[in-house]
Amino acid sequence: MRRYGRVFREFFRACLVEELEYRSEFFGNFIASFFGLGIALLTIHIFFYQTDRLGGWTYGEVLVLLGVFNTLRGWIDFALRPNMPRLLEHVRRGTLDYILTKPVDSMFYVSFRHLVFWRLIDVALGLGVIGYGLYVERYVPSAADVLMFFVVMTASLLLIYSLWMMLMTTSFWVVRIDDLSFIFDSFFDTARFPGSMYRGAVRFVITYVLPAVLITNTPALALLGKWSMAAVLAALAVAMLFLWVARRFWRFALRFYTGAGG
Amino acid sequence: MIRKYIALLRMKYIEMLAYRLATFVWMTGAITQPLITMFVWMNIHPEESESFLFYFMAVIFVERMTSAWDVWELDREIREGTFSNLLLRPVHPIHWAIAENIVYKWLFAVILAPVWLVGAVFWPPLRPHMTAGQAVLFLAAVVLGAALRFLLSYSCGLLAFWVTKVAAVYGVIDVISLFLSGRIAPLEMLPPALREWSEWLPFRYMISFPIEIATGAADGGELARGFAVAAGWMAVFVAGVQWLWKAGMRKNQAVGG
Amino acid sequence: MIRVSHLHKSFRVHRRDAGWLEAVRHLWRRDYRVIEAVKDVSFTIEKGEIVGFLGPNGAGKTTTMKMLAGLLHPTSGEITVGGFVPFEQKREFKKMMSLVMGQKSQLIWDIPPMETFLVNKAIYDIDDRSFRQTLEELTELLDLAPLLDKPTRSLSLGQRMRCELAAALLHRPHVLFLDEPTIGLDVHTQENVRRFIVDYNREHETTILLTSHYMGDVAALCDRVMIINYGRLIYDGDLSVLTEKLAPYKRLEVRFSRLPNVDWSEYGEVAEIEEGTIVLRVARETAAETAARLLERFDVRDINIEDPPLEEVIARAFWEEHV
Repeated sequence: MRRYGRVFREFFRACLVEELEYRSEFFGNFIASFFGLGIALLTIHIFFYQTDRLGGWTYGEVLVLLGVFNTLRGWIDFALRPNMPRLLEHVRRGTLDYILTKPVDSMFYVSFRHLVFWRLIDVALGLGVIGYGLYVERYVPSAADVLMFFVVMTASLLLIYSLWMMLMTTSFWVVRIDDLSFIFDSFFDTARFPGSMYRGAVRFVITYVLPAVLITNTPALALLGKWSMAAVLAALAVAMLFLWVARRFWRFALRFYTGAGG
Repeated sequence: MIRKYIALLRMKYIEMLAYRLATFVWMTGAITQPLITMFVWMNIHPEESESFLFYFMAVIFVERMTSAWDVWELDREIREGTFSNLLLRPVHPIHWAIAENIVYKWLFAVILAPVWLVGAVFWPPLRPHMTAGQAVLFLAAVVLGAALRFLLSYSCGLLAFWVTKVAAVYGVIDVISLFLSGRIAPLEMLPPALREWSEWLPFRYMISFPIEIATGAADGGELARGFAVAAGWMAVFVAGVQWLWKAGMRKNQAVGG
Repeated sequence: MIRVSHLHKSFRVHRRDAGWLEAVRHLWRRDYRVIEAVKDVSFTIEKGEIVGFLGPNGAGKTTTMKMLAGLLHPTSGEITVGGFVPFEQKREFKKMMSLVMGQKSQLIWDIPPMETFLVNKAIYDIDDRSFRQTLEELTELLDLAPLLDKPTRSLSLGQRMRCELAAALLHRPHVLFLDEPTIGLDVHTQENVRRFIVDYNREHETTILLTSHYMGDVAALCDRVMIINYGRLIYDGDLSVLTEKLAPYKRLEVRFSRLPNVDWSEYGEVAEIEEGTIVLRVARETAAETAARLLERFDVRDINIEDPPLEEVIARAFWEEHV
């Protein structure tokens, strides 16, 4: 475990150095992040111009949700998204073999080798918006709230990682699609807003079939003091389950790739 | 010229068939965003749910019928140098882009029109209530909107002769377009300041204006004014593309592809 | 057919040093230096000639070729190709010429080459009959029949090149520019392509200008070569004359049962020594005589008299400023 910590630090360092090479880009990226968040805030503002509740959530609560969404998306763009097209290339060109012969777990390598640092700005901004939302709401989270928030955020991160990993793994078979991440983006987009906003059959699908909303709503609710032990444990359990599935799937894909056994 | 277009259309059609799966994946993205937005509005004003259903179905349809991704194509071609290949042929490269746009819009129409039709059978709110005249004007507005969006996309693509991150520039414009073209909210729901801007900028005429015709929100004087502004922007964009092209050719010939 | 006179091309390249401060400075003050890619180049190529255009990387070959094709605007000087000024990019000019770039394909990737041919037919305004005739001829000469209906991406590099050539010749251009046409191809395909070019040129009197790194291309196709180095044309003439001027020697390859211990400078310059074999460079005039002497004095298993390899000849040219 410690060894992987060291390996991750190395990836971190290597990518940081690489990115600092392009210092002029840094400024542009900074602006881009701010702009992106500004637009999201403007969108919420437009919605709340017409109402003061969205699916039962107040303006401040929706801001917290937006912050959670931005933070999670920042993590995705920081670690997961840069590696997807690379895996596709490796599979297409057969250079995956180089990775498989390295004494590092291939799934770990393939997921974290390339990190895009400026995306951490999104994470920071997201946390900032969470803070702002709490301020608007005049709610100060208790220690338990914060703890539960971290636990559930971790679960969400693990879940996102697993889903993303499974999507990446399909690139072993679906080599013709240039941008699989599009699928995840569409799916994750439903998580911007409170799940309670949807109605009827859609609500059912959103909650049980493609539960993207749970990924963002649960942490937001936790921080706002609306958590239950059952929900938190369920989130953890689901995350663990999906992580296990993702790992099995990866193993299966590798066996397929190397032509070994069924 | 017609024969050349037939050849180009045929080629782009066959090329499109090779990308069926990828195209399908892209389409899902174009559909989920408006749907999510629709649910938000249905939550804000439940009493207007039916008109929102129609509005956002129309947004999906018109958005696809006017979509243009030439900015990314041009950016890639100019950066990779394959643009030179097009310059060597005795046909202006813009015709290749137009042919591709026509083929894909045909594809989207073929997929979405039946979906709308079938949807209209099951959900009455989806049924359009247009007179024949309105329908004709609607189609004219859609075509005009498609031309506007194409020219804007192509112009930004031509910027690749000078700028390396053209996609970022277009990204900003596209985001502004999200608000002012009616994709985030029907224009009448916007704060007055934004509504003012949307009247005069070209974005409204890319998506919202045709829909306003279809719902009957725009008629009479409003209709005439709308078409006039759209036509004005058309002239601006055409001149813009021509100017950018000449300047781009000069730049390209000085530095080479 | 092709007339080039006092052609100059220089580029302004923005110079930027590494570092944070430099990047910021770069924002409002641009330093640049001027690179002269082509300096005062003049030549004339008549109809039907096949001319080789050689030079080390960065010498200015591709730049010159792009100016001839109309993709680049010269800084000064005149070019006419078939009576047209290339950079004006007139439609009629494009219809009478063709450029094949070894590394950039005009064939559409995901669809069969035949579809690209049909598009070209329309774009170049080729009528049905000419199209059919030309296609038949090219299919036969290049052996394209099994390839035409498979998507381009499924063809091998050699197969793609053959289709590429066909696509470039469908409109029967008067002038053909070939930029590294055989790069990356296997020997067999290279020979086929060379044979095709020779036959096609003989049949149609197409003026051909070709750049290549492969001496095989040059030897097989070009009677006349132009050598460009550091932007200047340093040689323009027959290949055989070049060989004589630059490498007026022959290679004597002699194999002994046992390498004698002898001062070889008596016979010639030693190029290589290996187990039992020695390669000598001997002046042309005395080559035969030297060979006879060797045969007489030593126990020779095998002897070979050759012209110097073209690579050596050309490489020597690159060292010269003027030949």
